[in-house]
Amino acid sequence: MPVQVKINGIKMSAEPQETVLQVARRSGVHIPTLCHLESVESTGACRVCLVEMKLGGKTQLTTSCNAGVEDGMEIMTDTPEVQKHRAANLEMMLGRAPGSQKIRALAREYGVYESAYVPSEDPAIPGCILCELCVRVCEALGHSALAAVSRGGKKYIGTPHDKPSESCVGCGACAEKCPTRCIEMTDTKKTRTIWGQTFDFVSCETCGAPVMTVRQRTHAVETKELPEDYYTTCVACKQKNLAGRFARVGS
Amino acid sequence: MARLQSTQQLRQLKERIVAEKPADRRAIAVCAGTGCKAFGSFELVEAFRAELEKQGLDKEVELRPTGCHGFCERGPLVLLFPEGRLYQRVKTDDVPEIVEKTIKGGEVIERLLYEEPGTGKKFEKEEDIPFYKHQHRLVLRSNGLINPSSIEDYIAIGGYEALGRAFEMGPDAVLGEVKGANLRGRGGGGFPAGTKWELCKKQPGDLKYIICNADEGDPGAFMDRSIVEGNPHAVIEGMVIGAFTMGAREGYVYIRQEYPLALERLNKALDEARQRGLLGEDILGSGFGFDIKVNRGGGAFVCGEESALIRSIEGRRGVPRRRPPYPAQKGLWGKPTNINNVETWATVPLIVAKGAKWFTGIGTEKSKGTKIFSLVGKVNNTGLVEIPMGMSLREIVYDIGGGIPGGKKFKAVQTGGPSGGCLPASKLDLSVDFDTLIAEGAMMGSGGMIVMDESTCMVDLAKYFVQFLRSESCGNCTSCRDGLDWMHSLLQQVCAGEGTMELLDQIEQIAETVRVSSLCALGSTAANPVLSTIKHFRDEYEAHVEQGRCPAKVCKSLITYTIDADKCTGCLVCAKRCPESTIEGEKKKPHRIIQDGCIKCGVCLDVCKFDAVHVE
Amino acid sequence: MEKTYVVIPKNCTGCRTCELACSMVKSKRDEAGALGKPRIHIYPTGPQRYMQMTCLQCVDAACVKACPSKALVLNEETGAVEVDEERCVGCGLCEAACPFGHIRFDRDLGLPLKCDLCGGDPACARFCPYQALEMRP
Ligand SMILES: Cc1cc2nc3c(=O)[nH]c(=O)nc-3n(C[C@H](O)[C@H](O)[C@H](O)COP(=O)(O)O)c2cc1C
Ligand code: SF4
Ligand code: SF4
Repeated sequence: MPVQVKINGIKMSAEPQETVLQVARRSGVHIPTLCHLESVESTGACRVCLVEMKLGGKTQLTTSCNAGVEDGMEIMTDTPEVQKHRAANLEMMLGRAPGSQKIRALAREYGVYESAYVPSEDPAIPGCILCELCVRVCEALGHSALAAVSRGGKKYIGTPHDKPSESCVGCGACAEKCPTRCIEMTDTKKTRTIWGQTFDFVSCETCGAPVMTVRQRTHAVETKELPEDYYTTCVACKQKNLAGRFARVGS
Repeated sequence: MARLQSTQQLRQLKERIVAEKPADRRAIAVCAGTGCKAFGSFELVEAFRAELEKQGLDKEVELRPTGCHGFCERGPLVLLFPEGRLYQRVKTDDVPEIVEKTIKGGEVIERLLYEEPGTGKKFEKEEDIPFYKHQHRLVLRSNGLINPSSIEDYIAIGGYEALGRAFEMGPDAVLGEVKGANLRGRGGGGFPAGTKWELCKKQPGDLKYIICNADEGDPGAFMDRSIVEGNPHAVIEGMVIGAFTMGAREGYVYIRQEYPLALERLNKALDEARQRGLLGEDILGSGFGFDIKVNRGGGAFVCGEESALIRSIEGRRGVPRRRPPYPAQKGLWGKPTNINNVETWATVPLIVAKGAKWFTGIGTEKSKGTKIFSLVGKVNNTGLVEIPMGMSLREIVYDIGGGIPGGKKFKAVQTGGPSGGCLPASKLDLSVDFDTLIAEGAMMGSGGMIVMDESTCMVDLAKYFVQFLRSESCGNCTSCRDGLDWMHSLLQQVCAGEGTMELLDQIEQIAETVRVSSLCALGSTAANPVLSTIKHFRDEYEAHVEQGRCPAKVCKSLITYTIDADKCTGCLVCAKRCPESTIEGEKKKPHRIIQDGCIKCGVCLDVCKFDAVHVE
Repeated sequence: MEKTYVVIPKNCTGCRTCELACSMVKSKRDEAGALGKPRIHIYPTGPQRYMQMTCLQCVDAACVKACPSKALVLNEETGAVEVDEERCVGCGLCEAACPFGHIRFDRDLGLPLKCDLCGGDPACARFCPYQALEMRP
């Protein structure tokens, strides 16, 4: 049974399993996010998706990414209160990641240009805002090679026991999805180094360019039941080869 | 141990035990809770055993190691029945004398009686001692009476009768009773247990779970430990009643890692309950089956938060998740789950046995029954106290707690554990109940109560709690993790006398963000200690930042130690003890502290016998 | 699906207007290197002969099957396989899985780039001066 909610005063019908964020975005209302992906668990870590929620006579702030809609909910996505606390949270994150363009740009939208906050613990990974999106992405991919360690300000993201993880395949998804792009990943023509481990690349049969890491291929072959010799050509050569084949067929 | 097949058999067993051990029988109850154990009460039990055997009294006089009596500060405690006489701070050396004089001769040993500080008045009976007299012990009462390792002892005082009654009443009637009693959760939130039970009961499906939260992470709190140690069957009985009401077949007790004694007693109690057919399949021949597993906590404060606790039982990292969905809807392994605190569960059998009407006769309009507090800090009588809701803070601090020691002045009382609020003397007449405390920016919490005298610096105190919460925050939310860290840095500045009044505004602003934008109650209450002290003790904050002065003379950067040349006899004691060797002076000549080297540890002040060391 | 995207190689002069149009239309982001990343590529296959290569919008697409996060979805209306940026976890398996090299994982954006038919009115076809790319009923 669909539920009725109001977003910025506009009535919306929503499915009960939808989140406030989904309904808002579906109706074209912009809510910023940093640590959210629809395909992984929403933890409400970064707190920039805060909205004001009125339900049963009570008004409070809540993160929209992990708030399920409920009948009669009234959501305001941009009140002064919302802006104030988004700004405060952004200032804290800017303190952790002063070099992140993404955070800086978003902070600027809320009138925050510099941060007065300096974390008291030296960060294990400079620029990390500890949102654990990398951990969740890795878990969603079935590797679970990363974990948050410790609590409070001592919390950091790492591999189990800070040793190279056996389940890491070196796909680099964590680094790709990190909102501040703070995860170090170094590629050479033949290898990729990430999380203290160096992975060999599968090299393109035609041009030698990297296709993916050997471990990633092994994992993919195992889980997707693909032939052993799959994933042998790089994307550019695949397209070029195919163009040649098409041309021959055409003539 | 034979299984009990019906409530009838339970009643017969009780009658048999009572006949064997009549209530007026002579018994020595030695507190064997963790507190008294630390003072050597286990050795005391052995000494009594040996002495009774030696005197040939071991058949006649029952020796009973019990759970915590609450007056831990005076431990080890020995309670003599049938008179109800209390001996305190008993040592093994006292044992022969007690057996000889009191047990055999009926004579009172004055030296071992409790003496009221200040008045010097001695009390013979436990019930007359002010510490106990003003309490209303419902849950804790049995702690002094029974041996927690004996299911017979529990049955003898009417244990498991409420369960039998529940089976007769049926789930709906039991729920009605719990709702009617308006039992509110004792774990911190004060949420009505009946409402929670009803929601869980209503959920479809027959796979449901019951959890007892025995994580007790508040520093200094030990009410839950004492209940599990002293009366584990009450918790088990409450859980079975709850399971029967909601239709759960499996339960968990999530118990704090650091509670080995409680764990041992709980496991023993679970075993005995199973053997007696009070747990497991077909309980009391009712056809209803339920069993309890024990899960040891991860050791983090935040694991006491219900959603984190559930994840922890599932073997995942103990971090809170947004609610709703509430555990009642989607809890352990995604199934409807009801979670209550130890004290809440232990209250359930009382309500079922005596009825909602009896229960609602105690307490205030919206907070019924009693609450156990762990009273600590600068009060004469520290320990566990159980009071009816609505008692005033003043009664707790002065009548039960016996006031402030050392002739010092009361300054504040902090209720609700690390994220509770501080209330000043002007609030002493407040009624202690869920809603009044919340309205004043404090909270009931799980029952921590810390009394402070004039030697406590409120800024330093706020900083201490922020420090605790900062390191116990799970680290998920930016606002809680970084906000508390930030507040802590700013409070450090205040304590160092740096900054301006704007610093206070900034702290308040960050506190507000921490409060309104964090996910769980750890974050949303974490600002309480700071906000309540800024509200009630603003002058103290101002003294720090405006005058660079710590009125309580606590903040190290703002105080100096000096030696009064007139009073100093040149005994050299302080110079020898100073860890930094920064006191100079010759024998018989006034000493001097070289301020550059002083780390403000205060050792000189403590060791000087001539009152010559001053702190400004 | 009213119209079908067709490629007519014999009309192609290799001017690469399509590549330019594509990257202009798609580079809405201000992040580095967004421009110059067309979803269509022109390959010379002989003297004065060219082949335009872009996603075939396979019905039973390998990329869709390879994606562990259901981030590649068929748009029923246009028939295009589209990237749900809110779902993509950045593993790059789609790029590896496509036998034709028509989906490329972009390391700057952390997202795969592929033709989505511009919602039914592809810019490449609109801008091709020689009718070498067309939407046909
Ligand atoms: C940070 C945090 C710590 C908590 N710790 C405990 C605890 O140690 N014991 C407890 O019973 N409840 C604790 N709670 C409350 C639980 O989340 C939950 O409300 C309680 O167990 C429910 O039981 P009740 O309704 O019987 O009180 C804590 C809550 C928070 C936010
Ligand atoms: S409020 Fe604090 S403890 Fe609670 S989930 Fe957020 S970071 Fe963790
Ligand atoms: S990179 Fe994104 S779209 Fe491609 S397979 Fe991975 S998750 Fe799916």
